[in-house]
Amino acid sequence: MSREFVHERDLRFLLHEVHDLGSLTAYPYFEDHDRETFDLVLNTALKMARDRLFTTFRDMDQNPPCFVDGAVRVHPMVADFMKECGDGGWISATAPYDLGGQQLPRLLISACVFVFAAANYSASVYPMLTSGAARLIESFGSEDLKRSYIPNMFEGKWQGTMALTEPQAGSSLADITTQAQETGHGYFLIKGQKIFISASDHDGVENVINLMLARIKGAPAGVKGISLFVVPKKRVREDGSLVPNDLHIAGLYHKLGYRGAPIAQLSMGENDDCRGFLVGKPHMGLQYMFQMMNETRLEVGLGAAAIASAAYHAAVRYCKERTQGRRLAAKQAGSPPVPIIEHADVKRMLLFQRAIVEGSLSLGLQCCKYSDLSKTAPESDALKFQLLLELLTPAAKTFPSEMGILSVSQGLQCLGGYGYCDEFPLEQYYRDVRIHPIHEGTTGIHGIDLLGRKVVMKDGQALDLFRRELEDAIKTAEYYPELKPYAERLDKSLERLLEVTESLIPLKHSGRTELFLADATLYLEFFGLVAIAWQWLLQGTACDKMLKTNPPQTEFNFYQGKLYTMRYFFHYELPKTEALAKRLTEADGLTTEMHVDWL
Amino acid sequence: MKSLVCLKQVPDTETQIKVKPDGTGIVTDGIKYVINPYDEFSVEEALRLKEKFKAGEVVILTVGPDRCTEAIRTALAMGADRGIHVNDESLNDADPYSIAQVLAAAASQEGYDLIFCGHRAIDDDFGEVGAMLAELLQLPQVTLVTKLEIADDTQSAVVERDVEGGKEVIEVPLPCVLTSQKGLNEPRYASLPGIMKAKKKKIDKKTAADLGITSERKLAPTEYTMPPERKAGKKYEDMEPAEAAKIVVEALRSEAKVI
Ligand SMILES: Cc1cc2nc3c(=O)[nH]c(=O)nc-3n(C[C@H](O)[C@H](O)[C@H](O)COP(=O)(O)OP(=O)(O)OC[C@H]3O[C@@H](n4cnc5c(N)ncnc54)[C@H](O)[C@@H]3O)c2cc1C
Repeated sequence: MSREFVHERDLRFLLHEVHDLGSLTAYPYFEDHDRETFDLVLNTALKMARDRLFTTFRDMDQNPPCFVDGAVRVHPMVADFMKECGDGGWISATAPYDLGGQQLPRLLISACVFVFAAANYSASVYPMLTSGAARLIESFGSEDLKRSYIPNMFEGKWQGTMALTEPQAGSSLADITTQAQETGHGYFLIKGQKIFISASDHDGVENVINLMLARIKGAPAGVKGISLFVVPKKRVREDGSLVPNDLHIAGLYHKLGYRGAPIAQLSMGENDDCRGFLVGKPHMGLQYMFQMMNETRLEVGLGAAAIASAAYHAAVRYCKERTQGRRLAAKQAGSPPVPIIEHADVKRMLLFQRAIVEGSLSLGLQCCKYSDLSKTAPESDALKFQLLLELLTPAAKTFPSEMGILSVSQGLQCLGGYGYCDEFPLEQYYRDVRIHPIHEGTTGIHGIDLLGRKVVMKDGQALDLFRRELEDAIKTAEYYPELKPYAERLDKSLERLLEVTESLIPLKHSGRTELFLADATLYLEFFGLVAIAWQWLLQGTACDKMLKTNPPQTEFNFYQGKLYTMRYFFHYELPKTEALAKRLTEADGLTTEMHVDWL
Repeated sequence: MKSLVCLKQVPDTETQIKVKPDGTGIVTDGIKYVINPYDEFSVEEALRLKEKFKAGEVVILTVGPDRCTEAIRTALAMGADRGIHVNDESLNDADPYSIAQVLAAAASQEGYDLIFCGHRAIDDDFGEVGAMLAELLQLPQVTLVTKLEIADDTQSAVVERDVEGGKEVIEVPLPCVLTSQKGLNEPRYASLPGIMKAKKKKIDKKTAADLGITSERKLAPTEYTMPPERKAGKKYEDMEPAEAAKIVVEALRSEAKVI
């Protein structure tokens, strides 16, 4: 099996030459760090991924979690990896020093998570979820909750989860029914069912801490009546010992892919003794949970790009080795066959994958940088970065998730029949990558979120900031004659996006909400293409800048490869916005009017 | 227990090595460098000894150009205490003897209970430095170490080493030189807190002159070449096994000339 799953040079290029990781050290929170630290961190992640994660990638798929005597057993590597991530400080990497963290930028740690996910997506999820759940307690929990739970989670001894979904409430969290009853003893009694909860039980840790949404008895209906609770699998007694918390695993689901991580059904309070501890104020739960959901959404986007990255590397390697057919121009009969990578159509498939992977990764990292800045920059700037982050999150989650599937599919296609068989890893990547448009909000929900909320929030302020970011990138790129045509193309599609937005908003104002949002998913697709084109133009600019310095041969080759991929995106992918614009401005209500009985 | 760990930075095993067109060396442009894997075993073992005896020091000793700082820093992030970096133009591309001379001089300035070397470096594969170093320092040495037990009085060690088809157990007085082999341990990864701490740890920079030596190389490479590409094999299909065997034997005798 090919040993490469990420392009290291590209990671360094994106972190330093495009997103200027070093610039973050100007802020007090990051001031102790420097390039040497960043390199050591990334190198360590690459080494762990290569030695520990990639080596178990296939085995975890073939030996998925199983349900034995009411408990979930997972691959033995999970226990080792959680310990490694705990001991190594990975789970707490971005947290402040006083909580035992290292105050590292999210931009860097997300690049490391990308590396882990590319090596073995299933394994990467365990520490990532724990980190997000602990940060939720850190942001909104009482001192007591922080003291009781965060240290063991940061050490990788306790797993963290996000427990939202119920059988009748997936996309629509307003409809959750899990109940919480106040006892007056510092805890609530929880009763209900949760389904599809990732990593919510396994033998790689000694306890599981669910960050769970529930309704306090008598709470208002809808999202304004949802509260957030810490609901441990085993609760901690005064003397520190752990006792069962009346939280049962009702069963495991058997999944298409991403099989190294379990998703389980949870049943709380069968014996009326499941204790939950309120996080923050009552009825604010969904708002709090959005912190973790938004973080996880970026990680899902990066995870999709990561799987597509691994698939791309496996495909390139195969295409260089597999010989088949002759160049179309080769006249001589009986000439030896060529490696398939020489066929234009195969190169097209590879360029497609690379354009998706590296464009998506760049957008994900861009969002992580906004996230870092929104926490460290002076207040007025911080708000700007927060708005940009909120606006871009649906695209940074969805573009890689949806396009990642097509990208891996093209990777599989490069291998022909072998791609369909399990001697090669492509079929597993294809199964693994399919989850991403579903969890953390389906694509449909993100479309509605983008057009129905993010684009119109604060009178369109976020969209306006986005426009300005793109205009800056366009202006800079115009200095380089080779990039000018691409700057113009981006400018045109931005203009088109704004026109489409303007044509849709009156539908909202005139109360035709269904029509306004009927094609929100297409709007999200459009928005994603423009956002990725922006990221490619930024990359192109960084390349042209370096090419002017006469770099050594391998560097020259790297930048040329990048520029061709950028051109590919502008010539093959971005034009899709023209068709999308056509459809989005028709607003004819085809889907709203279509009768359900006619389907 | 004070350990000196001799650590070399080498091209990553995943790197595709190319020879320069004029055959004077390899193309270094674009190479990723890592700690020689056998030296990682040494670092790990030295750290475990320090942890076990709850006293002592782990000092990393490296000869090489500027880029080697990263390898030293990685070892410090794993937990080593400080580094000595001998960085001298005259030592670039040095042969094993010159390296052993430098290491011996640096070690003599430092003092030690144990000196670890990798049993070989995966780039030039000489596997000579450890032995030469022991000789220059007049120390006993055990090569290809896969297990190490230091006596409680820290005056001697019982060492297991690989031999053809089995293990050999040797008792050796300290100080001594040990060369690490795969199987000795499983090296830890640098931790993030370790990386932060490593920034503040000291790396002493030294030149050959600081150590009072001039490099005396005994070897000089004349040419580097890539191994010839493997020729395509031959297939003998659609025949009875007995007939195939006859033809293959004949081919091995007359064409391949190996029997
Ligand atoms: C592998 C895996 C891991 C998961 N991990 C977790 C976890 O850790 N924690 C957790 O809480 N949940 C988890 N989930 C649940 C996941 O978040 C939900 O499956 C997802 O939110 C969709 O909900 P649903 O399955 O009920 O689908 P539904 O909500 O029933 O959606 C079905 C379809 O209808 C569309 N749809 C629904 N409502 C609308 C609407 N209003 N407008 C337009 N279209 C709509 C959707 O886009 C989708 O295409 C996981 C799921 C999987 C498969």
